[in-house]
Amino acid sequence: MTSSLDPIRLPQSAASIDTEIDRAALALLLVEIARNVDPEHHARFDDVPASDHRMETLRQLLVGREISELSRVTHLLGEAEQFADAVGGVLPSATARAPHVQLGEALAPAVERAVQRSIQKSPGTLTDILYPVFLPAIRKSIGEKIDQTFQSLNETLRHIFTWHGLKWRFESWRTGASFSEVVLKHSLVYRVEHVFLINRKSGLLIAHVTADNATSEDPQLISSMLSAIQDFVKDSFHEKEQSGLDTIRFGELRLWSEVGPFATLVAVIRGNPPEELHEIVRDVLLRIHDEYALALEQFDGDNSQLVGIETRLQTCVDMKQEDSQQGFPWLVVAAVLLVSIPAAVWLFLSWQSGQRWQAYVSRLEAQAGIIVAEQKVYGGQFYISGLRDPLATDPQSLLSGTQVDPAQVHSQWQFYQSLEPEFVLKRLTASLAPPGSVLLSIVEGRIVAEGEAPDTWIERARAAARQLSAGGPEFDISKVRDMSPEARAAERWQAYVSRLVAQPGIIVAEQTARGGQFYISGLRDPLGADPQSLLSGTQVDPARVHSRWQFYQSLEPEFVLKRLTASLAPPESVLLSIVQGRLVAEGEAPANWINRARAAAEQLSADGVVLDVSQLRELNLAELNYLREAIQATDIFFYSGKAVPGPEQTPVLDRLADQIKEFAQKARKSGATARFMLTGHADATGRETANVSISASRAETVRALLNKRGVAPELLVVRGAGTFEPVVPENSRTGSSTNRRVSITISLE
Amino acid sequence: MQKKICMLGGFSVGKTSLVRRFVQSIFSDTYLTTVGVKIDKKSVALPNRTVDLILWDLAGEDDIGSFRVSNVRGATGLVLVADGTRAATLAVALTLRERVEAEFGAMPFVLLFNKSDLRDRWAISDREIDEFRQLGWQIYLTSALSGEHVDDAFHQLASMVTA
Repeated sequence: MTSSLDPIRLPQSAASIDTEIDRAALALLLVEIARNVDPEHHARFDDVPASDHRMETLRQLLVGREISELSRVTHLLGEAEQFADAVGGVLPSATARAPHVQLGEALAPAVERAVQRSIQKSPGTLTDILYPVFLPAIRKSIGEKIDQTFQSLNETLRHIFTWHGLKWRFESWRTGASFSEVVLKHSLVYRVEHVFLINRKSGLLIAHVTADNATSEDPQLISSMLSAIQDFVKDSFHEKEQSGLDTIRFGELRLWSEVGPFATLVAVIRGNPPEELHEIVRDVLLRIHDEYALALEQFDGDNSQLVGIETRLQTCVDMKQEDSQQGFPWLVVAAVLLVSIPAAVWLFLSWQSGQRWQAYVSRLEAQAGIIVAEQKVYGGQFYISGLRDPLATDPQSLLSGTQVDPAQVHSQWQFYQSLEPEFVLKRLTASLAPPGSVLLSIVEGRIVAEGEAPDTWIERARAAARQLSAGGPEFDISKVRDMSPEARAAERWQAYVSRLVAQPGIIVAEQTARGGQFYISGLRDPLGADPQSLLSGTQVDPARVHSRWQFYQSLEPEFVLKRLTASLAPPESVLLSIVQGRLVAEGEAPANWINRARAAAEQLSADGVVLDVSQLRELNLAELNYLREAIQATDIFFYSGKAVPGPEQTPVLDRLADQIKEFAQKARKSGATARFMLTGHADATGRETANVSISASRAETVRALLNKRGVAPELLVVRGAGTFEPVVPENSRTGSSTNRRVSITISLE
Repeated sequence: MQKKICMLGGFSVGKTSLVRRFVQSIFSDTYLTTVGVKIDKKSVALPNRTVDLILWDLAGEDDIGSFRVSNVRGATGLVLVADGTRAATLAVALTLRERVEAEFGAMPFVLLFNKSDLRDRWAISDREIDEFRQLGWQIYLTSALSGEHVDDAFHQLASMVTA
């Protein structure tokens, strides 16, 4: 057997039903083969070729059909196009029959790549495919966002002008949250009472979670009824959309449902939930779907596969926002009071100041000589303008007592001359200065002058009457009589007398006018004014005045002061003054002056005048004494027979001059006068008369030299002592240079 | 374990009264006329478990065209109800079943001939009933009035749908 016959074995099953084999031909063939097998036969048929064609015929007979079938299949497999057609024909049913999990695993990479490629090629295609899926989701999401915005806007508008609104605005300020957030927080009070997870296909309840204290009927029934109602709405209005009823609202109760691929989540909410809650509910549903996808898809009423799903739902039920019971809002009340009390006070004050201002304005309007043209109140300030007569009351002074703050008043007044009689009267009084004997008054709108007056005054009054403005009141001076010269003189005398009476240090005892002569007598202090000199300017003729004055010492403080100043001659360092009717001496003075002042004070006290010397301090003479010693220890020395000191004495003289000047000045300051005695001396040689003469010359020379150095000559007294006051005893022959000198002694007066 | 069961039957065959006495219900009959559906629950104790049958009582309508077949989606069993005194209601019930099966495939069911207490007006022949039984159908002659066989029917259906 050759290997070419092997394929015959393959289609074994086909061979068993070989009904179409040509049995006769097969029999012949087998006989032939038998012959070939028999060596004798073989010998008889020597011409039989090595490759027997009958074998081929046999093969054709036995497996001819299989061979043709096999070649068809081989051909089919070889031709890609035909093979593709063949696979294409069976692929759909093959895919349907393949185990889904394995098929999915096998196809996933290819599908992913295909999708990737498709997107790369043309993103539009996939977008178009997914468009119907995404569009409702996007639409819903946008819808919810808009709802959310409107809800926020609505609630904000609803509460913006309410008492709550005010409270919440304060809270928003306090917490830093936006006003609308606070509004939503308070107005959106809600509680999720139930959550149902419902199988979307059957309406069977998958899970139900309820909040504490919330009750409901059988959740299984509710769940089914809810999905029935969903179907009802969908069917009734031919709504094709995949999502179900979003919201069912009944009074305070809302049912929100979120539809997932396999389950619908229905939340039963009491109150006013925020729109964001949709997202939270949807999120929970999404997570449930993620976790339990298979169990949800295959749900058949048995929820034993869905353990733990309640915990997920519980997160929804836990959501609530309850209005915190804050009690009475004291903080808000306090804040409102804080604002409103100052406002009320301000309103009251501004009303009050307005009232006061009006009172002031009417007061001004009632005033003669003041015309208010315009007035207004603006920004808490008062503005007024008009005319005023300079003689009228000052508007500024009228402000006092009105409680209107002058700083807030801005006035603008123009001067004018009022023709009202009283103002004309005032002006006349001011310009004419009528004597005491004339009385000006207003009678029936006219100004009438009555009494006696000098002719000069009458003349001036007439001129004034002529110059009065037309339309103004008339000035009637017809009732003024001309005054007699005697009367005039008597009047002048009286003026003089009253002038004297008013004078300090003058006491008028008696005065009389008789026969054109005037007699006066009294006392006068010599330090007071002279009555005679007071006559000048009174127009009283001095020749007709006969005075008799006795001197006296006035005890009025200023006179006592004058007298004391004259008698005590207080030093410059002492000040005498009158303090509240008392005489006071204060400052520094030498002790002897203070003693004199004390004696004077004692004397005065007998007359009832007080001289206070308690504030006098004794002058400190220590420095003066030191200076005195220094001066008195100084000697100016001379050569024998000389009256002019040698040049070596010049510095001694310079110093001495300075010391003398200083001493004199200090002594003067403390009220004493210093005298400097320059005593010239001579030695014992020579004649006595010559010695006396030269000693006096020496003193004179020193005086001149000191005078030359600025010492006032009146302070210096000179004398010559000759040889009578030697410092050292000497023998008359040699003489002593020590004794040829000028010495200085000081005396204080 | 809960199962959705739909009760199908023509107008006034007594579906509503059938369940009224034997099931838990919280919804009033007006749901039928308003929403077209009323949900009731029947708990059936089987030897190894309790099954809650959620009964969707669909409004009986003679106009079969207006039957909302979508309400049956997800149901695992049917209760077909016919009025034993009106032969036409049997046809209605069967037609309704056909529509449901066309939409959702075959599902277990029980066929109830209601108003069995009205023997004198009975219009369904025993032969007809036997024919159905030959098909392996579960047939019950029930009376909402007496409660006859009602529990049996539900019990049977419960064991069928949980099998």
